[in-house]
Amino acid sequence: MTRYTATGLLLVTTLLTGCVTATVDEMVFNEPTAGIGDSTVVILGRRHASDYETEPDFIRCVGKHIHARDKSIYVMGELEFINELYPWFEPRTAPLRPRDIDKIMVHPPVAAKMAELKTEYMIWIDGSTIQTNSAGSMTCGIGPGGAGCFGFGTWGNDANYEATIWDFTDRAEVGRVNTTASGQSYMPAVVVPIPIIAPVQGTACDGIGDQLLEFLSSEY
Amino acid sequence: MSASMTSAPEMQACGAETAISRLPRIVLIALLGLLSACGPRQVIVEGSFPTPLMDPLPLTMGVWYNEEFSNHEFFDEAKGRADSTWIVKTGEAQTQMWDIVLGGMFRELVHMKGAPAPDQLNQVVDAVLIPHVEELQYAIPAHTNVKVYEIWMRYRFDMVTTAGEPIGSWTMSSYGKTPTAFLQSDEAAVNLAAVVALRDAGANFISNFSRLPAVKEWREQRQDSGASEPAGDEPAAATEAPATESEVVES
Repeated sequence: MTRYTATGLLLVTTLLTGCVTATVDEMVFNEPTAGIGDSTVVILGRRHASDYETEPDFIRCVGKHIHARDKSIYVMGELEFINELYPWFEPRTAPLRPRDIDKIMVHPPVAAKMAELKTEYMIWIDGSTIQTNSAGSMTCGIGPGGAGCFGFGTWGNDANYEATIWDFTDRAEVGRVNTTASGQSYMPAVVVPIPIIAPVQGTACDGIGDQLLEFLSSEY
Repeated sequence: MSASMTSAPEMQACGAETAISRLPRIVLIALLGLLSACGPRQVIVEGSFPTPLMDPLPLTMGVWYNEEFSNHEFFDEAKGRADSTWIVKTGEAQTQMWDIVLGGMFRELVHMKGAPAPDQLNQVVDAVLIPHVEELQYAIPAHTNVKVYEIWMRYRFDMVTTAGEPIGSWTMSSYGKTPTAFLQSDEAAVNLAAVVALRDAGANFISNFSRLPAVKEWREQRQDSGASEPAGDEPAAATEAPATESEVVES
């Protein structure tokens, strides 16, 4: 019975997922053919734009995607890294170009910490997921006899992210991966609202994660 | 997508006390929820702040947090029925953050017993920093239609001797923002933006302190007078331009 319920839930979830279109562009140099060994990778979000911010959830998603597919790659958490190196990776002070790394490495404690963390690649992700359009209306009511909604809503989401890979040892940019994804979500409601969500951000995360994995992992 | 809610019990939300006992429990809970929404939205800023990774400056620095600073709060009264009144209390987080930042930045940090003044008995230190929050502004998506929560603060720092004689005074701004997130309340997002703004304030202070003209001049005078402070230990920012010639650092 439990198996049937789980299968049913999986089927319903699959059927209730909206469609997403994704495009991934990649340009890499000096790919490590034998993988990155016991070095660590850190994925950081760019937070310089005034009208959007690279979502911390997205950065976590990409890190988890890489580690889940190649357990030998240790992706250091973004918050953990910027806390360890405070204040040198805050939006105000973070290096914008690979050669700026030298300016923070003049501080002996920073250089020592970097050596301790064995950071080989630093990946900067810039972008966001935005809602592009919305239409429809929904009315919900509540009373002594019960509650319910009626109506229909639809909205679109666009995701656009670019990952820039820095080789920390050579102080050089060694790759760029760009991913765009778009999808339309729907929510019909007859008493109960049924969300049919297009996993736009998740698709962008998988797209960028797969490309980064090809760069970092010897198994892909 | 627009969504609206219509129901008779909800329409009476802010004034139908006599009918409450007859309403089912679920409606009572909904009523309480709506009544709580009538009050001001309060954020007591809470967060954890990391210790700066740097070689401490060879100074024994005193710090004096006045009452206004250590109990700092921002109050914004609702301008219309659609708006909410906001209270953002930053005082405790301010003192917590500045204690950590200044503690990691100087060889020794001393909390002064009283406000520096000629007749005030205080500990012996090289100088005393007195921070002030001059202005705080916030923006939420409902104000700007941009899906970020923002906090902007302007500080004024007075650096004085233990006798209260001025060494330098400068202003400094900090900014923090956080994106909207699923199931995140406005209060939680404003708190997060405030924590980011406080971290930014610390980063701004650390990367600019030694390059402020007043501080440079004071430290040069100390070196000339034989104070035990080696030269060439200024922290340098990674991407910042040199501090401005005036004593005002704005970014």
